[in-house]
Amino acid sequence: MPTLLRMPAIAAGAETAVLSEWQVQEGIPFNKSDAIATVETDKAMVDMEAEEAGVILRFLVGSGEQVEVGAVIALSGTPGEAVDDIEAALRELGVQAASPSSNGSQPSSEKPNSNDAPTTVPTTHGGRVFATPLVRRLARDADLDLGVVSGTGPNGRIVRRDVEMLLTQTLAPSPDATPDELAEVHPPGTDDKGDRAFKDIPHTRIRAVIAARLTGSKRDTPHFYLRGTCRVDKLLKMRAELNAAAENADGTKVSVNDLIIKAAARAHTIVPAMNVVWTQDAVRRFDAVDIAVAVATNRGLLTPVVRDAARRSLSAVSADVSELAERARLGTLAQREIEGGSFCISNLGMYGTEEFSAIINPPQSAILAVGAALSEPVVQDGELAVATVMRVTLSVDHRPIDGSIAAEWMRTFVGIVENPLQILL
Amino acid sequence: MSTRAALEPASPWVQITATTEDWDAAEADLLISMFSQLSLIRAFEEFVLTLAGEGLVHGPAHSSIGQEGAAVGSVMSLTSDDSVNGSHRGHHQFLAKALGHVAPKGIDPTADVSDEVRTVLLRSLAEICGLSRGYCRGRGGSMHLQWREAGAIGTNAIVGGGVPLAVGQAWAHRYAGSDAVAVTYFGDGATNIGSTLESFNLAAAWKLPVCFFIENNRYAVATTIDEVTAEPRLSARGLGFNIPSWKVDGMDVLAVHLAMTEAVEHMRSGLGPTMIEADTYRYFHQNGPFPGSAFGYRSKDEEKSWRDRDPITQLSSHLIRRDILTSDQADDFTARSKAIMTDVAGEILEPLPGGKPGQRRIKPAEWPDPDFRDVGVRGDLSEFADARVCDTDSFTGALENRKFVETIAAVLYRRMAEDPSVVILGEDIHRLNGGTNGATRGLSDKFPDRVLGTPISENAFTGLAGGIALDGRYKPIVEFMYADFMWVAADQLFNQVAKARHMFGGDNDVPLVLRSKVAMGTGYGSQHSMDPAGVFATSAGWRIVAPSTPFDYVGLMNAALTCKDPVVVLEHVDLYASTGDAPVDDLDYVLPVGKAALRRSGSAVTVITYLAMVNYCLEAVDAGHVDADVIDLRWLDRASLDWDTIGASIKKTNRVLIAEQGARGTSYGGWLADEIQRRYFDWLDHPVERVTGGEASPSISKVLERAAIAKTEEVAAKLTEILEA
Repeated sequence: MPTLLRMPAIAAGAETAVLSEWQVQEGIPFNKSDAIATVETDKAMVDMEAEEAGVILRFLVGSGEQVEVGAVIALSGTPGEAVDDIEAALRELGVQAASPSSNGSQPSSEKPNSNDAPTTVPTTHGGRVFATPLVRRLARDADLDLGVVSGTGPNGRIVRRDVEMLLTQTLAPSPDATPDELAEVHPPGTDDKGDRAFKDIPHTRIRAVIAARLTGSKRDTPHFYLRGTCRVDKLLKMRAELNAAAENADGTKVSVNDLIIKAAARAHTIVPAMNVVWTQDAVRRFDAVDIAVAVATNRGLLTPVVRDAARRSLSAVSADVSELAERARLGTLAQREIEGGSFCISNLGMYGTEEFSAIINPPQSAILAVGAALSEPVVQDGELAVATVMRVTLSVDHRPIDGSIAAEWMRTFVGIVENPLQILL
Repeated sequence: MSTRAALEPASPWVQITATTEDWDAAEADLLISMFSQLSLIRAFEEFVLTLAGEGLVHGPAHSSIGQEGAAVGSVMSLTSDDSVNGSHRGHHQFLAKALGHVAPKGIDPTADVSDEVRTVLLRSLAEICGLSRGYCRGRGGSMHLQWREAGAIGTNAIVGGGVPLAVGQAWAHRYAGSDAVAVTYFGDGATNIGSTLESFNLAAAWKLPVCFFIENNRYAVATTIDEVTAEPRLSARGLGFNIPSWKVDGMDVLAVHLAMTEAVEHMRSGLGPTMIEADTYRYFHQNGPFPGSAFGYRSKDEEKSWRDRDPITQLSSHLIRRDILTSDQADDFTARSKAIMTDVAGEILEPLPGGKPGQRRIKPAEWPDPDFRDVGVRGDLSEFADARVCDTDSFTGALENRKFVETIAAVLYRRMAEDPSVVILGEDIHRLNGGTNGATRGLSDKFPDRVLGTPISENAFTGLAGGIALDGRYKPIVEFMYADFMWVAADQLFNQVAKARHMFGGDNDVPLVLRSKVAMGTGYGSQHSMDPAGVFATSAGWRIVAPSTPFDYVGLMNAALTCKDPVVVLEHVDLYASTGDAPVDDLDYVLPVGKAALRRSGSAVTVITYLAMVNYCLEAVDAGHVDADVIDLRWLDRASLDWDTIGASIKKTNRVLIAEQGARGTSYGGWLADEIQRRYFDWLDHPVERVTGGEASPSISKVLERAAIAKTEEVAAKLTEILEA
């Protein structure tokens, strides 16, 4: 008996996902837990695994297509099952027969009812998002970027139902929905110009989200910046000792970044006024110190969050960071693993970058940009000396945090880094 | 060969000229009173022109210099119980009436003038300058002078606009059983306008004690009397309406007094209206301190010939001749009158800081507070403090299914029986067994003197009702047989009734009820099928109620009759034959002011409607199983709209349809849509939608008429469109 395969809910709050690639072929059986397809959401790329052994009888969505969560993506059967009339089987299941075209464009079919068929008119018009006043207010209240919402009202206008579906995270598909209703128009993939002067690389979801979030951050978050300089000779020495001990005990090595995370977490414990975020009605102060760590991946920047970094041991934090970074690169992070925290650490020291300043990742209220540890001449007790120096730049959201608090935090942080035994306390 | 017989007018028309014997026979006190008033008014008017020349009078200063004799001569036989109103040129009449009120025995020119007299001069001057101590708190200015206590019921800037109001005042005097009279002053320019001529007819038909007093100064601004009429002897107009008429030299104050004495006796005897034409002359141009000759429409010689017959000079010569006053005493009072004005003006004027010597300005503290701008557009509704307010949810009496129109007659009967001040007027309302639709059935038999069948002259009888309302002793209910007649009576409805309270300072109640029938759908065509709600909604001052059920009609009519503001009660002939819950014997409850009725409750769309369209909307919603709030507004005017109900609904549904039946151009919903988008912008998920009739007025052809009027089908189609969007 054929069944319908639907787009799973990968990440909380995601209304749609892109079916990046089918991992199986029509008619070729697969086993339980085989990857059937790769699905990409705002922040994560995951393999959709088969719950049971089976076979895809018909793809209903092409590779690269954006699909609403819950929408039908394929007709599947039990292994070896052959269906003579796939169209009839689909009709029986309430799906208008259609096959995805190889280039992933919108399958064409009759609209069953003009009343509930979403319009395919783009929501943006010369940069302007058409949305009703109510929608604009709801989006404002929910901190929602309307640029990523598809409008189904007249002229592609975003209307209440479009936003409510997002906000209430309605995952259940409507029983009579058809793939063409739920699939969205996707912009053309690549576009080589005649003169080959450039090539357009279409935005991935992650790229679009990075762009929207950081643009929003620069626009809406009043940044100010503090620079600090840390002598890290003691820290590097301590790390060497720790790693030597770990090697003997077959333990894992800690990185400089792990130590910086712990130092920052301790600084947050000492200056709790930094462990806050801005919300519309209040400054929200956290109890635990959750610290996001910027991880570069080949698909873009990801910021998995290390939970409770202050109270957990250095080794636990270190193991956590390794695991999160690895899964970030594999694209298997869950949405919840990239949410939360008030603080982020971005370290470009391994590239030799001396110092830089970073854009706050909302809703977090600060980000620490960490440069390379370099040997430099320093003045010590009136004498010129050589020391290993690391420069950091703290970007701070001025709405919840004033300069004096950030300065207090910076002094505390530098003190911890320069007297690193505190990290182990 | 036909025979012909000369016909005579039914009323006399005479010219009265005062002889030396008359001057000798006149009582000294009368002549002194007239002299004192004339001198003070002349000094006042000269002072106003001086201020106008200094730019201290904002707007026109219509000088009455030269015409004072007509005003002073005519008020001498009036008391404070009598009423006067006038036109844009009314300073002299207002002052004469006010001075007569504070000094009924006259002002002694050889003694110091009283504080009361000085107060009259000061408050009049302040009003003309637009200052808060004026009689109308500076709202009225030169053209809207009112002091009701003195019987000065308000001058008027619309030519002929005040005439019907005075007729209404006269009706109130007569119905109250007093012998008081009303005098309405107007100029030659107003003798050719409809409201004046209609008023002649109405007053004569109903034998009302009103004097039509024409100050014929021969010029309507710069247009001469001979250019605009073939009968420049303006008192001849009275004969066409069977009104006894007098013609008199207005420069001769005694002659005016003699004519007025006869006219007042006629009116106090219950014989009906009178007309007096006083030939007079304004020495200056329409307004401002320059003579008319400066503008080229008349000669200096002509002006001199009239100045040579100046009323004050004439009166002074007789006073001196009869040794009542010496020449020095007369001159002294003239000089003191000027000094009094300078002295009085010191209260409101001060040297201009940094200005040249003699430059003056209004003392800043004298100006009204700008916050006073809209105060008193309507009353404060305190009259509802003791009203028995209830609604469908709190009504405890018995209800039964009754015809709408029978409920109208029932509640009108109840009110007339309970309240002897209620009077109903309109065309044919006393005949045909309750007017053309039976809404006044049974009333004329029981209350014949308070059910008044009017001539077909909507402007005059609306103004008459306005005069009754402004007087305040009676509550008129006016019926318009068709709403379109609103345009015929537009001046009275919108310039007079609607604005009176605010214009005269905010305190003059205007308890007038207008029953306006909406007859669209009856095949009466382009000029009988409008819905007036949209037009009334533009007019600050009017309250608008629109009952869609018999129960609401009772409560809204009672509210309208309780209210001290003008209220238009919309009635739709579609509803007359309908039936609904009506109170069996409790006809005394008042619906809450500004409370709409939620007729259906839903969540997908808010339908806002009123009057007969309510039922069509309910049909559309019920038949289509539409998940809609249906709001029956009941109160439509800007001040009485139920924003609580509307707002709660919009916040729930986020989509609004305003539905009405009538032509788009005069439709109601435009301003409401505007207000909604501003108040609830962030709550709207869809443009505010509207259903109205077509662009043109409905035609007589049944098919075209149906196409021009919105009903159930149009509402249903629009609801579908909204819900599919």
